[in-house]
Amino acid sequence: MLSGLLAPTSGKATVCGFDIATQPLEVKRRIGVLPESLGLFDDLTIGEHLLLTAQIYGLTKQQSHLRIEQLLRVLSLAGGRDTFAAHGSHGMRKKTAFAMALLPNPEVLFLDEPFEAIDPATSQIMRELLVSAAARGITVFLTSHILPAVERIAHQFVMIREGKIVWNSSAAELPGSLEELYLELAEPPGSEQLEWLASGQS
Amino acid sequence: MARIRAILVALINAVRRDLKTVGSFSGNNLFVVGIAFLFLGDPGIFVRLFAFIGLVLFIPLSADPLRVLPRDRLAVWPLSTAERRALRILSPWLNPVTWLIVAMAVWKRVSVGLSAVAAAVFAFGFVLPSLPPARKGVWRRLPEFPGPLNHLIRKNLRETLSTLDFWCGAAVSDLSLGFRAAGRLPAEALLPMTMLVMFAFSTYAQTLFGLDGDGGMTRYRLLPVPGWQIVVAKDVPFILVSVVMTLPLAPSAGVAAALSALATGHHASVIHHSNQVRWRFSSGVSFGMSIFQVTVMSLAAAAVHAFPLLV
Repeated sequence: MLSGLLAPTSGKATVCGFDIATQPLEVKRRIGVLPESLGLFDDLTIGEHLLLTAQIYGLTKQQSHLRIEQLLRVLSLAGGRDTFAAHGSHGMRKKTAFAMALLPNPEVLFLDEPFEAIDPATSQIMRELLVSAAARGITVFLTSHILPAVERIAHQFVMIREGKIVWNSSAAELPGSLEELYLELAEPPGSEQLEWLASGQS
Repeated sequence: MARIRAILVALINAVRRDLKTVGSFSGNNLFVVGIAFLFLGDPGIFVRLFAFIGLVLFIPLSADPLRVLPRDRLAVWPLSTAERRALRILSPWLNPVTWLIVAMAVWKRVSVGLSAVAAAVFAFGFVLPSLPPARKGVWRRLPEFPGPLNHLIRKNLRETLSTLDFWCGAAVSDLSLGFRAAGRLPAEALLPMTMLVMFAFSTYAQTLFGLDGDGGMTRYRLLPVPGWQIVVAKDVPFILVSVVMTLPLAPSAGVAAALSALATGHHASVIHHSNQVRWRFSSGVSFGMSIFQVTVMSLAAAAVHAFPLLV
């Protein structure tokens, strides 16, 4: 809802001082979003997605060139620049959507599962980029089930179960590991065994 | 053989689902016009339009049924070389067009030349979807447009070119151009042929966002761009393609028809979003909407053609 993907039904919320219901364009100009569906067009190449973002957000040609080349290099996307999004791997698509979120230099980042389906090296680069962005004053909201990755970078943790907040604390207030807390509060693991596995029959 | 049978059953299901998408032509304005002529007592035009739609559908319908199986999946399945060969030989027979080609070859009333042409077109349609994406590079070479909507317009142009509405309209346009160049297209035929082109192409104006998919719709919601600009980025390629297709005929009537198609189709495109399938005919939201759109287009084009000073 804060990112503009869902229309609010009631209440009031602001992002960067702008009302999400009455000033949605002002909000969108100031945020970068990595949505769950990635939000890519099948008929645009990876390079064209970044150029589209640069032009829509009003970046100058020089800024666009500099930032796009750097993002393609840092996220190991340079080789896939001319690949249509429809033909790219999931990791490539994820990195493209992540690059689109960073490109306009937003004040707030909303990232949905940024570390899923990403190789370890790129995952580390993304974590470093996010830590550096947060250190420079960019607010980063991210949802993730890759708990060790989140534990390393987040300052504040919120766990939600069936639409209700079941944990909200700073990193310093965590009682133990994030994974243990998650399994205890949000999603207790199942105990059913698959007896037919390794039974010798296909 | 059990493995082959299991794969063929899966392919049959996939082909059956694919064939259902072919039925989208029944919601296309060209088909609606054919139905209208049927009710007006001219079944000949209906039959000709129906045959023409069938011809346009021939290439995409010829696609290899085996393409629906991901190559990686097929590679890791424990199939012997003989089983893979059997699958390669049997799978084309799941395609109804294969049987049609065989029937044409066997039926003595069809000439050898016609059968050969049909077989060649079938072979082209069969192989085309299996070509690596890099070979389809023609899609990359589209013109640049001024302004920040450049890449949205280019994307929308690519979408437009991947509908059978466009290819159907282009086929009529090219045929008309050929007849006109040969001096066999009378001046009175220019408006009807223009309208035929635009009827074929106009249903797309009811489903402008049909090929964007969920990802594309999500991105539209995130872009800091007013909604009307996103619609303009859809309109520009539609008008551009309409102008190019009707240029050899009656371009001013074509533009009038294109603008009318967009004016009547915007509401349906934005409010009644319906997903469309590439390389199939666009399907309008309702029969009533198609009748309304076709009527408005006809009136606008006829008025502009009859009174050129209006433009």
